[in-house]
Amino acid sequence: MTKVKGQRKGNTMEEKKSISDKIKELDMAVDWFYSDEFSLDTATEKYKSAIKLAKEIETDLDSLKNEITVIQKDFTKE
Amino acid sequence: MDEDFFAEIDAINEKYKQEKQKKQEIEKYSVSEFLDLVNGTLEYAYTGVVVEGEVDSFKVNQGKWVFFDLKDKDGATVSCFLPVFQLRVPLEDGMKIMVKALPKVTRWGRFSLTVKQIMPVGEGSIKKGFELLKLKLEKEGLFDPARKRKIPENLVKIGVISSTQAAGYADFCKIINSRWGGLEIQVAHTQVQGMNAADQMISALRYFNEQAEVQIIAIIRGGGSADDLAVFNDEALAREVAGSRIPVITGIGHEVDESLVDLVADIRASTPSNVAEMLTADKGAEKIKVVRNIREIGNRITQEIEHLQGELNSKLNRIQDEAEHKIDTAIEQVRAKEKLLNGLNPDRVLKQGYALVSGDIIEGNVVKITTFEALAEAEIIKVKERKE
Repeated sequence: MTKVKGQRKGNTMEEKKSISDKIKELDMAVDWFYSDEFSLDTATEKYKSAIKLAKEIETDLDSLKNEITVIQKDFTKE
Repeated sequence: MDEDFFAEIDAINEKYKQEKQKKQEIEKYSVSEFLDLVNGTLEYAYTGVVVEGEVDSFKVNQGKWVFFDLKDKDGATVSCFLPVFQLRVPLEDGMKIMVKALPKVTRWGRFSLTVKQIMPVGEGSIKKGFELLKLKLEKEGLFDPARKRKIPENLVKIGVISSTQAAGYADFCKIINSRWGGLEIQVAHTQVQGMNAADQMISALRYFNEQAEVQIIAIIRGGGSADDLAVFNDEALAREVAGSRIPVITGIGHEVDESLVDLVADIRASTPSNVAEMLTADKGAEKIKVVRNIREIGNRITQEIEHLQGELNSKLNRIQDEAEHKIDTAIEQVRAKEKLLNGLNPDRVLKQGYALVSGDIIEGNVVKITTFEALAEAEIIKVKERKE
């Protein structure tokens, strides 16, 4: 495959979790605050984690680039 | 010297003549050999000729072989032939088409074109072919909404079939890069118009289905004339899209352009840009959502604290009310007793003019007399029994 110039992936350290995964995690955290499991004792800790996750998502959204590759197989010669 | 030279040349020419004569004598062909020679020459000269004309005398023999003539306005006609399974566009007499074919002389000495590919030409023929094939595929249930799959969740790997030189592809890249990041997009570069485009796109679809780990395949092509977009009405391509293991989204032409590939695809977007919009969320909107979520959960904590404070205040109020009630009750009870006691106070009776006599009521005995205002002593002079 050929990588298209200038479209390399940005943040390789975050490859384990995609932005979508992180957004889903944040949505679940938000759901917890409105569930029966909500308790003020643990809410502060969860709130801090959610803020950290939100910052990560914002950073990812700003920095992550798409990786566009053109398959080397020549379909025009089929 | 010169004489020798010319003699040598003459000898060579003579030898060549003799060899040629000998060869001509030998090269006698059977009919089959001659036809093979002619067909070999035709195949060499015309590896894939493209001929445009109007369909005439269309017929299918034994359900296996398709025959028709191609004619032009000058009355010229050429016979065409192909196996029925290669017929990817429904034909009718009068339709204008373009065929890619190999010229051939048959064993019966008839010249014909062995057709490899067919494309309708002109808006009328394209529409006719589209309607006929649409009806056929619809009857087979290929447009059934129940067959349609949704865009997969957590989309990361996308396969794209398009011409990388096409404006539609550039639009797609621009929009998807501006909207989202972290996607792995594999692009199969194919033609998206012309005689070979359908086969190339079929090959790309098979590649993605068999060799690539993509979650969705996007077929992209910008706007164009009816002729440009005719390839997306190819039966084989439509069937390949319908049979794709991986969901297919199309963005072909503009909103008004409807192709068979659009109809059999799982999701139809109106344009290549719209494909990018449908496959991705907008990062700006997502940022706003993230901020809103954080604000909401902050509010939720504040709300809970206020709720608990409210409950506490309510309990304190209840305690206070209860205490006050008990105190009031006690005060009332005391006041009632006080009132009762006041009623029993001898002074109150004395004040009304009565007197209290204390001591034994025996004649001759001295008793104490208490009035409201004075104390006195008196001697009992006489005692009589009281009668009511």
